[in-house]
Amino acid sequence: MELQEQLDSLAQEGLGVAAISYDSVEVLRDFAERHGITFPLLSDSDSRVISDFGILNTVAEEGLGPNGDDPEVQADIARYVSVFGASPLIAGTPYPGTFMLDRRGRVTSRFFEEFYRERNTTSNVMLKLGVGLSPIAALQGETAHLKFTAYPSNTSVTVGSRFSLVLEVEPAPNMHVYAPGAEAGGYRVIGFNLEPTDLARFEPVEYAEPEIYYFAPLDEHVPVYQQRFTLLQEIVMDASAEAESILAERDALTLSGTLDYQACDDAICFLPQSIPVSFTLEIEMPDRQRANR
Amino acid sequence: MLALFRAGDMMQLMSNPVKHLFSLLALLLVLASAVSAQDSRQPVNVAALGPQVGETVPDFSLPDQNGVMHSRDSLGGARGMLLLFHRSADW
Repeated sequence: MELQEQLDSLAQEGLGVAAISYDSVEVLRDFAERHGITFPLLSDSDSRVISDFGILNTVAEEGLGPNGDDPEVQADIARYVSVFGASPLIAGTPYPGTFMLDRRGRVTSRFFEEFYRERNTTSNVMLKLGVGLSPIAALQGETAHLKFTAYPSNTSVTVGSRFSLVLEVEPAPNMHVYAPGAEAGGYRVIGFNLEPTDLARFEPVEYAEPEIYYFAPLDEHVPVYQQRFTLLQEIVMDASAEAESILAERDALTLSGTLDYQACDDAICFLPQSIPVSFTLEIEMPDRQRANR
Repeated sequence: MLALFRAGDMMQLMSNPVKHLFSLLALLLVLASAVSAQDSRQPVNVAALGPQVGETVPDFSLPDQNGVMHSRDSLGGARGMLLLFHRSADW
């Protein structure tokens, strides 16, 4: 499990880790042994803590009840319970997600999904918390205008994984590249332009706060980056039953496209650039093995 | 519902306006409750469920995979913790 792999990095950040589910201690022990899990897997076997937190999945029981045939209930079943239909197994489970808590138990951030099959990878949560990752499978490049490093938050992904491509950019001295808003002035905003795939969807890019640059020759104010910055291109692996059957047959997914940007210094604006990029991610199917009993 | 308005109703309405005002009100109430029953199912919005940013989560005491008890406060590191809720380790 990815969370286990990130345990040391989280501990270095002073963060404890625990997971809660409705499984019995025996099921959790078996799972921990099979996967080498050392952090606490907590057993909330009567779902009381899940209910106390207010995140009990009530759609599961609704789907099994008298309104099970209601089209709205059916739609929610597919979103929150199972793409394979209502199942008594889900009754008592939470809506899956992650809370980040401070020392006093206050929520500092939370990561929940509106489709039960989509999950943030642990690395993606860490990126969003500003915890640095050590780049793995990184692409590095240098042009006349900038240096960049690009890498995926995870080298292997699964059905519904929400992960990121990370782009770290360092503009050359005196050089700036464009942030969102600059397109109004006719400039190319920096970002990935990836070829669409049926197996993943691309979320809007998360940009760092830009600075406003005054370009004297044209007497205009433009949002730019002049210092080192990072942007995140979030990607969600398709979690439909069809995508799952396609992914099950594949070992890897390659995302290809370009890193596009335009750079200017205080006198000259260079032509927009497109640098080819490609990221290959291993496909790992979820563990559907049941506990040994 | 329309069957309630028979031809005679209009006559009665004129002969006994107060009584009919009540039955009209009753009819409106029935209609209103029928509409609200249809709309009573709230769509799920997971983002709004459970403790929000800035709120304190409930304390708990639960056994781990080795039977060791843990609470919210015993699990936190110096800067807090990551608390994951998942569906099951069993399927």
